[in-house]
Amino acid sequence: MEKQIRKSEKNESANRRPLKKTALILTAGVLAVGLAACGSSNSNGGNESANNSSATNTGGTSGGDSGKKVTITFQNIYPDATSPANKMMKELVAQYEKENPNIKIELDSLNTDQQKLKLKTQAASKEVPDITIVNPAAQMKPFVDAGLLAPLNDMLDQNGLKDTFQKGLLDYYSFNNNVYALPDGNNIEVVYYNKDLFAQAGITDVPKTFDEMLEDVKALKAKGITPIAIGEKDTWTGSFLFMNILLRTNGGPGFLQDVLDGKKDFNDPAFTEATDAFQELVQAGAFPEGATSIDANAGGNIFKTGKAAMFIIGSWETGNIDASSVAGKVGAFSFPTVNGKGDVNQFMLAPGSGFAVSANSKHLQETKDFLNFFMTNYPKKQFELKNAVGSGQIIEGDFKAAGYSDLAINILDMFKQVTGGDLAFDNTMKPAVAQAHLSSIQNLFVQKVESKQAAKEHQDAFAANK
Amino acid sequence: MNVLKVRWWTIGIFVLPCLLLYIMMVFVPIVVSGYNSLMLWDGIGPNKTFIGLENYRNILFNDPYFWPAVKRTLMYAVFSMLEIPVTLLFAILINRYVRRGNTLVSIYFMPVILSVVIIGQLWKTIYNPLDMGGMINGILNSIGMEEHMTAWLSSPKFAMYSLYIVSLWQYFGYHLLIQYTGVQNIPTDIYEAAKIDGADGFKADRYITLPLIVPVFKISIVLAFIGSLQAFDLIMVMTGGGPAHATDVISTLMYNSTFQEYKYGYGSALAMTLVIICLVFTVLINSVFKRVENKVS
Repeated sequence: MEKQIRKSEKNESANRRPLKKTALILTAGVLAVGLAACGSSNSNGGNESANNSSATNTGGTSGGDSGKKVTITFQNIYPDATSPANKMMKELVAQYEKENPNIKIELDSLNTDQQKLKLKTQAASKEVPDITIVNPAAQMKPFVDAGLLAPLNDMLDQNGLKDTFQKGLLDYYSFNNNVYALPDGNNIEVVYYNKDLFAQAGITDVPKTFDEMLEDVKALKAKGITPIAIGEKDTWTGSFLFMNILLRTNGGPGFLQDVLDGKKDFNDPAFTEATDAFQELVQAGAFPEGATSIDANAGGNIFKTGKAAMFIIGSWETGNIDASSVAGKVGAFSFPTVNGKGDVNQFMLAPGSGFAVSANSKHLQETKDFLNFFMTNYPKKQFELKNAVGSGQIIEGDFKAAGYSDLAINILDMFKQVTGGDLAFDNTMKPAVAQAHLSSIQNLFVQKVESKQAAKEHQDAFAANK
Repeated sequence: MNVLKVRWWTIGIFVLPCLLLYIMMVFVPIVVSGYNSLMLWDGIGPNKTFIGLENYRNILFNDPYFWPAVKRTLMYAVFSMLEIPVTLLFAILINRYVRRGNTLVSIYFMPVILSVVIIGQLWKTIYNPLDMGGMINGILNSIGMEEHMTAWLSSPKFAMYSLYIVSLWQYFGYHLLIQYTGVQNIPTDIYEAAKIDGADGFKADRYITLPLIVPVFKISIVLAFIGSLQAFDLIMVMTGGGPAHATDVISTLMYNSTFQEYKYGYGSALAMTLVIICLVFTVLINSVFKRVENKVS
């Protein structure tokens, strides 16, 4: 009986043999296809570049005319199709592709955080896209040091591009006299305020001193209005505000630079005073409850939906506020003096994210030519799309006549008063120190801390990461 | 070893694709991380410096956030594992008293198929402060317990527990499904025989269900344990490790040091530590279960 079964099994397996072979071949085939698919997605556009290496030499100011297809990857942080920035980018890219039919611009549009992460991963394997986004000063230094970015000096001299930038702005993107990125803007930190809510709380004038600001916070709080909108889950928001206080208590810019130069340390009275002032705001209930679990966008929306009276942030928000439900009710002022110190014409400066070109780009010349075109037309396009407040480039045009809002004009006037200022913490200090700072400031939102203790946390982190 | 009646190379060829994938996706990254963990490297440039075990030394002795993160991670694991007996109880009850148990189990299973990001956002609105429409605080407010209202996710004291609860809620259905399938797979004739011998109800559970469910139970425990060691997405979505490191676990710490602080080597060392903890505990759990299995059967 058993034998019989065995036998029949054997027969069956003999019958199945060709089938088995087919299965084998199929499996191998599927595997090969899978591998090939992986390969092509990894080197995105790399295949084409091999065919086009000849095109790299022919590029003039108008891009390669060789007629061969060239694909340029353009990583950017304008993913939102409804935003003016996204519109600007797509229109300029379409125009360039039309004028240079052999060039194809491939957009890789990501959120800011996603882009940072993706670029870091790409950098680790040296596969930086042709054009990418970096942040100024200390944040882009590791990329420059690693030799991943191409100097753009030669391209800046073409078509007079260099002269379109505000004086001194390119310094934040320069290392050893080479410019490595071109900024998409230049902003300052201001206090936006909702005029209706101020009136409801009986506040007649904007605060000129920190004490007045505290009074206003209490008056607003008493009316059940959230005084200052903030989303502190993304730690940089609180830091940006804190640094503005520090800019005042230090009596002027340069505190962090002095620390870096060894002239001061974080135990300096200016720093502890700023920490104490910041905590006074927290204690007075200035910020929304649960601020540390609100992300930056949601934090901004508290203001833009008319639920909070103030919003202390970069002037880049002007366009978004004008497009929100509180448009027309909003004014702006400079952060007040703290304990009589500081100058209201000094601002936290926020030079924008910069467009950088990969040093290992297969089409270096074409990429530079495209970026030159892009940046030359950038201010004009932004102006048209009413997104030119906080432009890093000089704009010739009448904002008022072009229909910009009163708020925008107000902000533009503030730009004219700027006499100096500081960069954000993470643009000045090493990433590891910046992270320690960010979480130390976040901690101030949830518990009272001795200012000496906060100073010590900073100093320790600074010493440990020298 | 002729049971399969195929030549060894045939087996080899069919195992190969999977083996290759496993080596490429799991083994190689671990080895590369191990190599990087001995380096001082920012993850960007070519400047790697070999520093031996310095990263590990710093993790174990100088990092003020590491041990609290380990504690939170292990608490996470303990809570997740404590959930399994509860799911087993539910599985037994559903199997016995509910006629169409499958429907119920499918409903319990629903949160598992939802994206963690959606779950995070959902629970964020539940935990929100009252003026942002938080549901829990709303209930507390309406029953006159205003003094207990808190911004749950922003309180260093409660934030971590708030996260545990979400995780337990999400994976309840998952483990219930595993346990329920296990319970259903026990042949009914055993119970019938026991009934004749006078073992019924919970007595039957004690002497039949429990011993036979141990292997399935073990799978759940191991899955719950490893899953909670790797907990990352939910924390990133809901608190990002904040406020001020109060909800940092090993994996978020690893992410922050690698990608935010640009300490690739240090982050790799943290990753290796996590791998080692995983291995040690998996072995530990296995040996414990071997003993349990011998005891109950």
